Amino acid sequence: MISAGTFHVISTELTIGMFALAGVAFLLCAIKKGPSSRESVAHWALLGGLIATPFAIVSGVNAIPSEGIDNPILANKLLLSMASAGLAVGILLRRKWGGEVDIRHSSIGMISVALMLATAGMGGEYSRGETLLLFIPKETVMLFPTWASIVLLVIGMAIVGKSAVEHRG
Amino acid sequence: MRFKVAVVLLLMILSTTISTANPGGKGDSVRSRDCAGSCHGSSSTNGVSDAELDIQYPDEVYAGLLMEIETTISFAEVSSNNMVGMTLLVNEDGAKDLPANDGWEVVTDPNGGTNNYVEIIDSFSINSIVDRTWTLRAPSSPGVYELYLAVQHGTPDGGVAMAGISDAKQVVVSEVPENLPRLAPEWEPVNTRLIGEETEITLQTLNTDSATVELKNGGEVITIPVVDNKFTIPAAVNPGAVEWRVIMEGEGPTQHSPWFRITAQEPGWEVDEFALYLQGFALFVLGIGLVVLQRSKAEDIEPSKYDNTADVASQFGRIQNTSPAMVELPSAGPPIPEQGLPEGWTMEQWEYYGQEHLDNLARGGQQ
Repeated sequence: MISAGTFHVISTELTIGMFALAGVAFLLCAIKKGPSSRESVAHWALLGGLIATPFAIVSGVNAIPSEGIDNPILANKLLLSMASAGLAVGILLRRKWGGEVDIRHSSIGMISVALMLATAGMGGEYSRGETLLLFIPKETVMLFPTWASIVLLVIGMAIVGKSAVEHRG
Repeated sequence: MRFKVAVVLLLMILSTTISTANPGGKGDSVRSRDCAGSCHGSSSTNGVSDAELDIQYPDEVYAGLLMEIETTISFAEVSSNNMVGMTLLVNEDGAKDLPANDGWEVVTDPNGGTNNYVEIIDSFSINSIVDRTWTLRAPSSPGVYELYLAVQHGTPDGGVAMAGISDAKQVVVSEVPENLPRLAPEWEPVNTRLIGEETEITLQTLNTDSATVELKNGGEVITIPVVDNKFTIPAAVNPGAVEWRVIMEGEGPTQHSPWFRITAQEPGWEVDEFALYLQGFALFVLGIGLVVLQRSKAEDIEPSKYDNTADVASQFGRIQNTSPAMVELPSAGPPIPEQGLPEGWTMEQWEYYGQEHLDNLARGGQQ
């Protein structure tokens, strides 16, 4: 068996690799350059990255020496990765429902990738004390009050539900 | 566009630091003798440390009892961050070399933890000697044991990961004499506490009639009475460590325990995890919603109630698909017959005289 730390490295590299590939493909979609397969590559790579993401999160939680989230970097990683995964799922749903891959769609895809790469960068800061994200305030956690999160959650669920009903209709 | 991308890439490349291995360290942990994460494929980036390494034991080491050892790193040239990774091992094979494999227990490492690998920052140089103390529990079986001290560090110029290991340092672990006043085998010291809190410690002793505690506070040693096997260490004002030991008296020879370190830390960062997870899930769902809410540009143009383009286009198409005989031109006159206008007639004449012409025809007149 391998340790949670080693498994976290494997799953993280899978996730980041696929997200990075999706990011490049979305960039090509945005500038309308490159092979015609760029749309398929972008969305399939994003799906692959999404599938690997839960493994990275779970193994990461098991790999940290302390119990619970006792570091602001870990809290920011959680928030960033969840936001990134949400955008990625939204991108895939929109595409599945026939949405056009225009500049806006591609840009959101790239934002999702950027958030996931930022998450990985924070992992480097947490484990090795080094990162390329020099100018991002990683020690500051923007935590909403519980009521605000509930409002956001309700708004999000309402939008998703409405869109699903419209699509079915 | 290409220029901007090139500038961004150049900035990212320039922002990197030239470094080797894990210059920030990998953190204290229980670790076998590996490269501690600083392995390199090329031999040119590995080196053998010139540091002199030593381990000093107390005069008497008893099986299963606590003891203090001192490790010394001399003449080490390290990188600019002055960090050295220090590992306590039982062999130099790189396998089954943890102290626990021979029955040792690390009770307190130099950083206040319970690890055999610690990273320390000190004034390492080719002229300096750096000492650190460890509190160990000796193996429960008497005998001759060996310990090794291994180190990893960088170089002043960077680019090379240095590693070294000491010679085997032997120690004789003796049977515990009868009636020896000592701490109970199951007793474990407290290693950490929070700033501003007094710490009450309960001792468990064997063969001990009375005990006192000595507390090192700066350069001075304070004696603290032990009442009902309990004593209190005053609260710390700042982060840092204080050392204390217990002096046990009984029928046997008086015993001094090792110096135990208790480190005062600032309260750790705390967060309401429920709120954090809830916000994470809310961001996830909101992210999905915001994306599926997006419509393409073509969908964004909402139809105006004054826009009759579609109706006109459909009528136009119907007109185009209709045969000439069925064409109903918007005129004031009667419908044009299938054979067309009478010869020589204009449309304007048909509008005025067309009905009269049709009436004549109906009465049997000439065309």
